[in-house]
Formats: sequence, C-alpha cells, structure tokens
Amino acid sequence: AATAPGKKITARLKRTLPVRGPQAPTLSELMRWYCLNTNTHGCRRIVVSRGRLRRLLWILLTLSAVGLILWQCAELLMNYYSASVSVTVQFQKLPFPAVTICNINPYKYSAMKEYLSELDKETKKALETFYGFSEGKSKVRRSVDDWNSTGSDFFQQIPLLKVEDFSRTATDLHSGQKRKIEGSVFHKDSSIVNSGDSNDIIGFQLCDANNSSECALYTFSSGVNAIQEWYKLHYMNIMAQIPLETKEQLSYSAEDLILTCFFDGLSCDKRHFTRFHHPLHGNCYTFNSGENGTILSTSTGGSEYGLQVVLYIDEADYNPFLVTSTGAKIIVHDQNEYPFIEDIGTEIETAAATSIGMHFTQSRKLSKPYSDCTETGDDIPVENLYNKSYSLQICLHSCFQKAMVDSCGCAQYAQPLPAGAEYCNYKKNPNWMYCYYRLHEKFVKEQLGCQQICKDACSFKEWALTTSIAQWPSIVSEDWMLRVLSWDKGQKLNKKLNKTDLANLMVFYKDLNERFISENPANTLVILLSNFGGQLGLWMSCSVVCVIEIVEVFFIDSLSIVMRRQWQKAKKWWNGRQRRSSGKAPQARDLERQGHDNPVCIDEELPTFTTALRLPLPQDSPLPRTPPPNYSTLRLDTAFAEQLPDTLELGQH
Amino acid sequence: MEPPRGEARQEGLIEFYGSFREMFEFFCKNTTIHGTIRLVCSSSNRMKTAFWTLLLLASFGMLYWQFGLMFRQFWAYPVVLTMSMHSEPKMFPAVTVCNLHPYRFELVSEHLEQLDQMAAESITFLYGINASAWLFRVNASKIHGNNRKIHGNNEKTRNKDGKIHENDRKIHENDRKIRIKDRKIRVNARKIRRSDRKIQESDRKIQESDRKIQDSDRKIQESDRKIHAQTLAKLNSSGFKLSHNFSLLRVSDLRAGRKHSSVGFRLCNSTGGNCFYKTFSSGMDAILEWYRFHYMNIMSQLPAIINISQHEEPIEDVVYSCQYNGEPCRPSDYDHFHHPVFGSCYTLNSKGTDPFWTATKPGIPYGLSLILRAEQKEHIPLLSTAAGVKVMIHSHNQTPFLEHEGFHIRPGIATTIGIQQDEVNRLGGNYGKCTTNGAGVAVELLYNSSYTLQACLHSCFQRWMLRECGCGYSRYPLPAGRARHCDYGAHPAWGHCFYQLYRRLRSHRLDCFQQCPKPCRESLYKVSAGTAKWPSAKSQDWVLQALRHQNGYNSSSSRKELAKVSIFYRQLRSQALHEAPLLSENLLLSSMGSQWSLWFGSSVLSVLEVLELLADALVLALLCCFRRLRATGRPPAPESSGERQEEPREGQQGAQGSGMGLPRHPELELEGFGSSRELGRE
Repeated sequence: AATAPGKKITARLKRTLPVRGPQAPTLSELMRWYCLNTNTHGCRRIVVSRGRLRRLLWILLTLSAVGLILWQCAELLMNYYSASVSVTVQFQKLPFPAVTICNINPYKYSAMKEYLSELDKETKKALETFYGFSEGKSKVRRSVDDWNSTGSDFFQQIPLLKVEDFSRTATDLHSGQKRKIEGSVFHKDSSIVNSGDSNDIIGFQLCDANNSSECALYTFSSGVNAIQEWYKLHYMNIMAQIPLETKEQLSYSAEDLILTCFFDGLSCDKRHFTRFHHPLHGNCYTFNSGENGTILSTSTGGSEYGLQVVLYIDEADYNPFLVTSTGAKIIVHDQNEYPFIEDIGTEIETAAATSIGMHFTQSRKLSKPYSDCTETGDDIPVENLYNKSYSLQICLHSCFQKAMVDSCGCAQYAQPLPAGAEYCNYKKNPNWMYCYYRLHEKFVKEQLGCQQICKDACSFKEWALTTSIAQWPSIVSEDWMLRVLSWDKGQKLNKKLNKTDLANLMVFYKDLNERFISENPANTLVILLSNFGGQLGLWMSCSVVCVIEIVEVFFIDSLSIVMRRQWQKAKKWWNGRQRRSSGKAPQARDLERQGHDNPVCIDEELPTFTTALRLPLPQDSPLPRTPPPNYSTLRLDTAFAEQLPDTLELGQH
Repeated sequence: MEPPRGEARQEGLIEFYGSFREMFEFFCKNTTIHGTIRLVCSSSNRMKTAFWTLLLLASFGMLYWQFGLMFRQFWAYPVVLTMSMHSEPKMFPAVTVCNLHPYRFELVSEHLEQLDQMAAESITFLYGINASAWLFRVNASKIHGNNRKIHGNNEKTRNKDGKIHENDRKIHENDRKIRIKDRKIRVNARKIRRSDRKIQESDRKIQESDRKIQDSDRKIQESDRKIHAQTLAKLNSSGFKLSHNFSLLRVSDLRAGRKHSSVGFRLCNSTGGNCFYKTFSSGMDAILEWYRFHYMNIMSQLPAIINISQHEEPIEDVVYSCQYNGEPCRPSDYDHFHHPVFGSCYTLNSKGTDPFWTATKPGIPYGLSLILRAEQKEHIPLLSTAAGVKVMIHSHNQTPFLEHEGFHIRPGIATTIGIQQDEVNRLGGNYGKCTTNGAGVAVELLYNSSYTLQACLHSCFQRWMLRECGCGYSRYPLPAGRARHCDYGAHPAWGHCFYQLYRRLRSHRLDCFQQCPKPCRESLYKVSAGTAKWPSAKSQDWVLQALRHQNGYNSSSSRKELAKVSIFYRQLRSQALHEAPLLSENLLLSSMGSQWSLWFGSSVLSVLEVLELLADALVLALLCCFRRLRATGRPPAPESSGERQEEPREGQQGAQGSGMGLPRHPELELEGFGSSRELGRE
C-alpha cells in the first residue's frame, strides 16, 4: 500500500514531463536530433535528403566545409602575428645629433716617446732586418727610461718572425737564429698576395705561457699588416699600464684639435664640446653631447646651418707605426648612444672640405611575439659595460669582454672595464695575448654564444650620411686663410700652419624631414574575430553559438550517452548477479522487453542525482520516496516531441 | 517510432520528388537561406509576400554589388610593401676590383698604335698642333713602350748599341792615349816610330770597331725588316684595317641666331644613305666616344675566347694586401677576368659559399681591407680619363657591370666604404612580373651567372643587334653559334645600325624592357664612404719599403700609386622590403563570408542547396516530359493526374500518394516530409 502512491506519482510525472530531446537514447538519435535542429547549414540536409547518394553527398560537403573552415582559420591564426609597417615623413624642428670627432692618431707622438721608444726601436730593427729599411734621418733615442726597461723582455718573448713556408722554420728577429715552429700554424696557406720570389711571410707567434708547446703562429698577407698588428699588440700592453689621467694629458686637447667652430650661423667654441676618452683614438670631442641637459637643434636644413669646424691635424706628430692614414674620424650618433668610432667612424681627409649631409630616420620594431628584439636590453643576460643605452654592438662587445675576463683573467684594452677587472698587460698576465687571440677566433666562429644571446634593439635612430669632398683651401684663399688661422692659434704654435694639417668639416641636415618607420600589428583581435566570423559564415553559416552547440552535442551529450550505455551494461550485469542469487529473473526480463536497450525506458526512475552520480540504486526499496527533480524537462525538444506521434501514426498506416 | 537506419538498406540511391510543388515546398521548408522561409510561409498574405520578395531581392542586389567590388579589388592584385628589419648574420657581398689598365693584346697592338696616331691627327685637325702636342709625345712613348715585339727586338739592338758604345769608349781611351803619346813624341822624337806603330794599331782597332758598328747596324736593319714583315703578315691575316671613313669633324649649326659648333663623326648605312652625325657639345666626349668606337672595332678582332692565362696577371700585381675579418684572404677566393675598358678585374668572394666570408660583426676591423696598386703608367690615354681603381660591390654569382654601378677609388687615399644591405622581395605571379633566377624569361641569358635585369637587357640588346645588324656588339658576349662581333671591316655600316638601335632601346621602342622582368629577389648595397690620406707622411717611408720588399712594388716613392680600401658592414641589420598581397585569398573569403552572412545568413552550403534544387528541377522536368511522351503512346494513367490536382488541398496525403512510378520508399520519404512539416509549424 505504501508503494502504490509513489508509483503513481512517478507514472504521472512520466506522462506530464516526459524525458525527451537531447537525452536521446542512442547516438544516432542524438545526431538526428542535432541535425534537424542546428542552425549550421548542411547538417539538416543530411537528414532530410532523400536517397543514399544524396545523403552521402551532403555528408561529404558538410565535412569538407568543416575542413575548409579549420584550414582557413588556422591560416588566419598563423598570420595573426604579422606586423605592418607605416612610414611617416614629417617636417619638424629636428634635434641635432651628437657629433664625435677624433684625430686618427690617438696620442701626440712626441709626448709618447718616453713610453714607446723601446717599442719603436724594436720595430725599426725589425724593418731593417726584414726589409733593409733604415730611417737615416731620425735617430732612435737612446735614453730609455727605467719605467720601460722590463718591456724588452716581452718583445723578445713575442718577436716578429720571418717564416719560410715550406721548411716551417722561422728566423727570429733578435737572435737571428732559426727555430722550428711547433704547434699549429694558422693561415699556413695564407697569402694570395704573396710575391713569387720571396716565399717568406712575416708574422708572430703566440704561445701559451703555461704550456709552451701550445703555440699559434699568426701570419699576414702583407708585411704592412703584420707590423701594424704586432705593433698594436705591444702598444696595447704599454697603454694598459698608463693611468687614464696621464693618457688624457698625452692626447690632444680641445684647443689643439678644433681651430674654428660654427653652428647654425653662430660661433661656438670648446665649451660646446665634451671630452670623451676612447681607448684607441685618444681624446675625442663630442659636439652637442647633451651633457648639460640641452640639446641643440637646427632651424633650417642646409650646409650653412649645420656644424662647421676646422680641425688641426698635426701630421708631423703622428705615430708612424700605429696609424698609417692621416685625417680625422667622425661619427654621428644619438646623445644616448655610444660612439663606436673605431668600427663605423667616417674618415675625413686633410687639405679638403668634407661636407656631410644627413638624413634622419627613426625606426621602431614591435617586440616579443612579432620579432625578437629588446626594448631596453634589461632582458638580456649580458651586463652593459658602456654607460649608454643598449645596442647590439654594445651587447656584443660587453659579451666578449665578459668572456675575456672570465677566461683570461683580465680585460681587453679596447673595451671598457667591467667592475673589479683591470686591463691586460703582460707584466701581470703574461698569457693574455694567446688567450685573447684564441677567444677572438672563437668569437668570430660564434662559439662563444654572444651572437645568440644578443638581440637587436627595438628602436633605433639612424643618420644616413652623404659625403662630398672639395679641395680646401683654394689656391687663392690659401695664403690669407692660413695666416689668419695661425694667428688665431696664437703664440702657442710658433710654426706656420700647413694646409695638409687642416681639415674642414661640415655636418648638416639635408632637410628637416624626419622619416619615422614604425611597425604596427597588422591584425587586431577585432579583425581576427571578424575574419573568423567571415570564414564560419561563408562555409557553414555558423556562429559562436553553433560552435558551442557542437561542443555541447558532440562532446557533452555524446559522452553522456556513451557513459549511460556503459552504466546500463554494468547495471544489467549487476542485476544478473542479483537475480542469480535471489531468483528475480522475470522482472528484469520485463524491463528489457519494455524498451530494448533504451535507457530511458529501462530506467524505472527518472535520472536523479544518484543516477547522475552513477551511484547504485537501492533496488527494492519498499519505502515511498519523493520524486527527485527532473532536470531534463528544462530542455527544449519540440521536434522530437511531435515526431513521436507522427512516426507512430506512420507505423499504423 | 520506426528507427530509420533499420530500413536504410532499402532506401534508393537517389530519390526524386513526386512533383514540382512538392519539391519547392520541400526546398522552402528545408533551405537555410534566410528570408525564403518567410517568403513561403507568408504565402497567404500577399502584402507580406511582396514585402519579403522585395527584401530578398534588395539584399541579393546588395550582396552581389559588394561581391563585385570585392572581386574587382582582388583581381587588380594590389600589393602592399611591408618593410622588415633583419639582423641575422650574413655573407659578405662580392667585391670586384679593376685596375683600369686594359691589355694591349699583341694581336692588335699594331692597330692600337695606328689608332693612337689617328686620334692625334684628329685632335691636331680639330684643335691645332699645340693641343695635341702632348698627346703626340705620349703616343710616341706609348708606341715604343707598348709594342712588345718591337721592344724585345729593340732590346737586342740596344745590346748591340751598348757594345758599340763600349767600343767607342775604347776608341776614346785610345785617342787619349794617342794624345799622351803625341805629347811624348814632341818631347821624345825617338819614340815616334813606336808610337806611330801604336797609332796604327789603334787605327786598326778603330776600323775594327767601325766594322762592328756596321755589322750591328745591319743587324738592326735586318731585325726591323723582320718586324715589319711580321706585322704585315699579321695585318694581312686579319684583313682588318682602321677605317678613315669615321673621322671627327666640327659640325656647326645656326641656332637661335648664334652659331653653335659641336664635334662629332658621321655614320651611314651600308648603301651610304641615311647618314647622321653623332655629335657632342664637348669635344672631349666626342673624342672619347670616337676612340671607343674604333677601339671596339679593334677589340672585335680578338678571338672570342682570349686565353687570359697567357696574360694572367696574378692578383698580387694589383692587390698588395687583402685581409678579411683580420685574416688574410685565401688564394682560391678570387675570379679573374679581363674587361676591355677597365682592364684586369678580380672578383673576391664571387661564389659566396665559403664560410670564411660570413660577416659576424659590423665595423671596419671585421670588414675587407685591401691595399691596391693604382698605377697610371700604361693606360690607354683616350679610353678612360680617370685614374685609380674601379670597385664594385654586388651580390654573389652576379656579373659585375662596372660601367653601370662601379665607383672609382682615388690613389693616395684610404677609402672606407660602409655598406648596408637592402633586400627587395617581389611577389611575382599575378601581382607583377618578376622572375626567380631567369625562369620564364623569353630572352636567352648570354651571361653565365644568375639573372639580373642588366644582364637580361644586354642579352636582349645583343639579340636585336644580331637580328638587325647581323653582328654582335663587341662589349657583350655572343650566343652560341656562328655569330661574330661587329667590326667595320666585315660590317661597314654596323655603327650606324648600332647607334640607331641604341636610341630605340633608350626611348623604350625595343621590347627589351617588356621582356626583361625584374628579379623577384634582389640585394641592393647602399654605400657611404669616408676618405683619409694614406699613407701618412710619417709612415710613408716604412710602408713603401715594406711593400717594395714583399710585393715587389717598384716605383718612385710616391703615395699616388697606392690606394687603400676598407669595405665593411655599417650594421648587420638589413632592411627587407616585401611585397604582400593587400587582399589575400584568405581574407577575400573571410570578407565574402561576412557579406554573405550579413545579407543572407547563408553559406556556401546554401548555394549548394540551390544548385541541388536546380538539378532536381531539371531531372524532374525531364521525367515529366518522358512520362508525357509515354502517356501519348499509351492511354494516360488516370490516378496520377487526379492525385496531382488534389495536392494543393491536402499536401501531405497527396504527396504521399503521388507515386509517379518512381522507385522510392514511401516510409522514408514521408518521414523526412513529416519532420519538415514540424519545422515549418515551429
């Protein structure tokens, strides 16, 4: 009696709120329901078409549409991180860049004599031995300071050698005795520029101080290069021992270098120049360095409104071995940039007026997902040794310097000092040169990993230079001009200026157009989505809702059906066991008959929390229960609801 | 409920509708094109039907108007230029260096000599003797200096001369002795006889030496005769003579009331008609052009393949020192060729495959540094007036056209050349004509290198030359076959033909510019240079001494004969310009889809539905015709026609019954129909 009202209630519920719709009993039912009700095109046709071929055709068409959508959308996604470039040219008052000017010769040779006399003597001796060159007129000073007396040991340690190629023996500059070359010989087959008759090459040998069998012989295609390289090597050793203050004293002062200065139609003087000591080029002077916070700008383009300087290049005071060309070096750069004058400086000639026209271009790249560049250089694991803003060049040099300090124990002279390190010289680090050359070779072969670590900067300013040269001063004006300039230079200089000691330089903006090249993302999210929408709409007239629908039907519902099947099977198996033990077979058979394997029909109860949680139902609970809430009634499934009587009607027909 | 899959086996392959009405109803109810359903559903309401028809047509019109715009834009193939910055390590470009010193090939040296004389005569004729005096002198020295055969023979005679001189010196010595003896005679008469004897002896010696002189003179004459005979034989064998028909003239014409005079030479076609003057406002240009014209005629005498190895000037003679990235260049790294105007040329890193030439770092120390010889001695004075070295920076595997893109290097100067690479990538295809490596170009490339526009233009022009003038321009290579270079011995009118053709090329009347597309991928090198004096006064001595010793540089210690060139990357960043389609297929489809969705809410599949409808309609119409034909043959089947009339009233039942004798399964069809009805009602 207690069970009867409960059964009644469930029966009534079943009648009034039937389980239908997406809770379709089988997968095929679900698909059918989906196809009839979905908004995507094509699917409906699969179901409603008449004829197997037609149906197959529509299945194929729908699938290919899906494929096309996927392909096109993948392509859209792949092109998402592309950048478009916009170039804007604007006319404005441009800030004048910093202009750094150096004499090619770093230090006054006359002042350097005391440090270099030993080395020069050695070099001249080498020239005499190898080429029979004797400088009759200039006498090598005998007065060798105590300071440098130990240097000669090192010259003997790394002498210039004359290498006879085939025999692999070298003639020592000092002893004159032949010695067998041990170890590896670099550039053995070196010179294409090796004259036919004399097969000997000049070079030098560097050995590992700890392991004397490890030697590398450096040879050069031309004796000129060999001597210069050898000289530079020793020169750097000597210079590394001189303190910075002394070096600044030895080099040119602003008054020495700059005779006249004219900017934007106004006169300027040495106060507009900032001294900057470059290890290889001595004292350089930067015009408009922005040190005092103001950056000059030009009012108009054209050579008259730029920087005009006359430089005094004292050719007589040049170091003959270190530099072989005469003139000055200039570089145009941003105030925050480090001037890499030895790398990309432009040389200017003496006895000529060099006018350099500039075009300003500013470029900006998009960083991370678009291209591999860095905004500030903070994300690069290389310490910036230069006190300036990041650039690729700075990173490479810093990286090399770091490697140098790590593996050789001292820093290379041409680059700034890292904290706690000091410049190499062979008093303290007798091994450094071998180490340096080895390291440099590694660097060039990209084995140090610097090229991989260092990234390009995202934004950079660039001044494109156009150079033209004219004879200066003209023959007619030469006389008075030299006189006036000599008078300007004052009493300090007691000799008359020569025109080959002067260089006239003009740096100016050709026009005040700024070219700004910037990258912008070619695709925004809005464009991407609208393109997606276009593709979906084109092939299937699908929208985001239909995508959700697909997910719902194909993943959630299908899965639930499959799971329910499994659950039924498990339950059947469980029932079978129960039956076998308690002998209640007929009831189970009844259930089965009721609706083959339709889970809806098989289920006595509606889906409840317990079924959803797949908990085993208490089979023969004698107590009446309140019916659990039926969630599936919320679903809309009109098509199925009315189809059922239809099909029944047909069946009767 | 009948499970449909159960009887799918019995379903026909294709099933057709019973009637057009059924078909349309099915279509309207099942189609996915928005609006059509409304159209059908509101069939009872005329107002609504008209409204929906109008709406449908309007949106249809909008859609196709938009499509039209879109396709017009797409088929115009617009491109956008995108610029990007690359900073990957790259190869150093190829560098070609020429010494501006063309050979005087032995084969044609005689003609060149004559040409120099002719030039001197012309200048005398035009500007008077004074103007050409220097040239005479120069030419005279040139003639001697460069005619090597004569030179060699002269060497022998000079040796003889030397001997004669020696004899003369002996004679003088004897004379002096005689004088001493004479004085002695005066002092001591006894010694007269003895000294007389000595005098006789010395006389005999004099006679002997005289005979020797005569002997050597005879030898000189003999050798001269030999040389003459040889050159004559050579001239005869080639059958080429310098023509005097093209002499330089002063042409004056009256323009704007003032007399203008210009200098030029006359060119006529083979019959002597259609003459024109190739004139220049400056006499210098005229002389240079005239000289080059003759020079080309002479050079065409040379066999097509000159055995350069015979004239091989080792690179050491031009490049004294070559360093890249601080290391000496390798011997295998250069190609040598001879340019008729620019002389011996060497291309460094021409292949661009050796990893030695990768650029790792920007800056002068990591670039290419050359010390070059820039001698001015043996130049042909009227061929090029510039002195120094010609340098060109170009891509790998590319024929360097020095006359177009080369630049000069001043002697006595260190030039630092900073380069920056620009890359241009063109899309090609529909987006503009371009070619990757010469594929699909109608012009056969005569140069054995990768495709460049310049090479193609030259090849095209050469083809025109061969077609119009019957011979090839001697600056450009010849195609395989029997073609020959032009010279006015064989083709007296080629100059006329050439200049006419060249003018046509310049005014774009030859199809060369159309036939030669741009290459799809191009590297351009932007160059900026700085100069400094080199070697400096202080270092000059030792530098020259070192070069003298190592490279056999033998010259007076003048720095004007040396040049130093450093070529380096200013930055490894390169600007790449890419063409990209403004409207790619992808985007076109997307925007088409958006339009479609916007106006119709339909898709490609809807279009296919319409197509299916049309196909169905066609088949149905055919079937109806077939049935009617059969019906006329046989008495008509009454039930089918009756049913058809019923259809409008009660669609379902009629449709169900309208068999029309088609093979189909009623259950299935109806099932589908039923479901569609539900949708309609919904």
